[in-house]
Amino acid sequence: MFRRFFHHIKEGFYGFGRHIGMALSSASAVMITLILIGLFIVLTLNLYAMTSSIEDSITLSALVKDETSLTEEELQSQIEAISGVDYVEYHTKDEEFDYYLDTYNDPDLRSFYETYRDDNPFKNAFIVYARSGEDIQTIKTALEAIDDIDEVYDGGDNTYTLVEILDNVRIAGGTLVAALCILAIYLIYNTIKITIASRSDEIWIMRNVGAKNGYVRAPFLVEGIIIGFIGAIIPMLVIVLGYIYLYSTSGGSLFGAFSLIYPYPFIFYVALTLLGIGVVVGFFGSYISVFKYLRLRR
Amino acid sequence: MIKIENVSKVYKNGTRALDRINLEVQDEEFVYIVGSTGSGKSTLIKILDGEEVPSSGKAIVNGVDVGSLRFSKVPIYRRNVGVVFQDYRLLPRKTVFENVAYALEVVDTPKQVLRQRVREVLKLVDISDKSNAFPDELSGGQQQRVAIARAIANRPKILIADEPTGNLDPRKSDEIISLFEKINAEEHTTILIVTHDVGIVRHHPKRVIMIESGNVAADLPKGAKI
Repeated sequence: MFRRFFHHIKEGFYGFGRHIGMALSSASAVMITLILIGLFIVLTLNLYAMTSSIEDSITLSALVKDETSLTEEELQSQIEAISGVDYVEYHTKDEEFDYYLDTYNDPDLRSFYETYRDDNPFKNAFIVYARSGEDIQTIKTALEAIDDIDEVYDGGDNTYTLVEILDNVRIAGGTLVAALCILAIYLIYNTIKITIASRSDEIWIMRNVGAKNGYVRAPFLVEGIIIGFIGAIIPMLVIVLGYIYLYSTSGGSLFGAFSLIYPYPFIFYVALTLLGIGVVVGFFGSYISVFKYLRLRR
Repeated sequence: MIKIENVSKVYKNGTRALDRINLEVQDEEFVYIVGSTGSGKSTLIKILDGEEVPSSGKAIVNGVDVGSLRFSKVPIYRRNVGVVFQDYRLLPRKTVFENVAYALEVVDTPKQVLRQRVREVLKLVDISDKSNAFPDELSGGQQQRVAIARAIANRPKILIADEPTGNLDPRKSDEIISLFEKINAEEHTTILIVTHDVGIVRHHPKRVIMIESGNVAADLPKGAKI
């Protein structure tokens, strides 16, 4: 069994060496595709992290009526019972006033507003965190239905639009990665098809003397895997070094607003994923090619 | 044993290559199949080799109905049917020894047994002295001997040769047919030789099946006048 295994490996490398020009050109095409796949994976995952953190930071402020008859705990348990609510924080009107003052850096303005503390216009409030950005609208409606809640504030339509846009970009990124994987499979499929054509005599002889289809197929699968593997090496380096460079030069955030995922171990996982994709597309590309060839001949 | 019962073969383009053909070949028999180009000889060989499936009828080879053979079982079936072609089909980058060994390698023959069997068949086809030579260093007759050695390496019960002397001069052709006779006698292999060459049929008289327009035109016993 081991002898056969090593025979297939040897034959796979032999096939790769025999058609080295063709195999390397295919590996180069795979390489470019994998670089693009790598870029889209990094982009998509960063967008995913970004949208998740934006979604996590979307909160609702439910202002409590001054004349409420319910205690803080009673109201809080009512709010926590709303579907989609992750957790709730209670802020007194004084705390809300402090938060407001903290938004001003100018000491003159702060001292000006400080004069209103005794006549605090703020209300006690519950800060409601949603499990997902999609739940915000329903939670808002449920909060507004509570009698003791005066007003409910969310981030407004712009927040929803931003989440929706980032979501769509995320889906588009995933779709592109899938499309590029199919392209890489197609590139390897074509290379192996040419390899098969140039070795049709050998395949004929193998089949003629009673070699099973698996035996005929195996060296081509190895060859496809080698092409995918070689095609993945440079993209791995480009993605790892490129991302580490980008992270260190940008200080971990793009345009000062979008924070990037910390590179360790994130980027090594992406590199391993690229290697995995290279090997898998190499395998499938050659599998489809040999399968189609053998299927046409008994 | 080969039993062909009412076998017809119609290709997708409508060509009827075989038309309700019937014939029987006993174990260890030596048979010539003769006929003009396009008579259906090659189709018959392809059916016996498992490459083609009859459109109707049954082709039973060594108890196996070739037409109903599952795709995955064809390779196993082929181990009992050796085929030799006019153009030898040797692997140019492998030596004579390796070409013959290849047939045994693909069926997972243990190395020791493989070496022993390759030496045996190379001796049988009388080409042991060329075992390290590459195909392009050999004459046509020698290449055909290697192809025959490869075809019998797995001890098939049936050996089919499609125009095995087509590229050879009369003396070499005679030697190759003598070799088939030797294999028939020593390895107890059933031999089917497809040929145009009436000369070799006369020099090495055997049963002759004549195929014309997809039908058996004549089935002549050994020694009958052609």
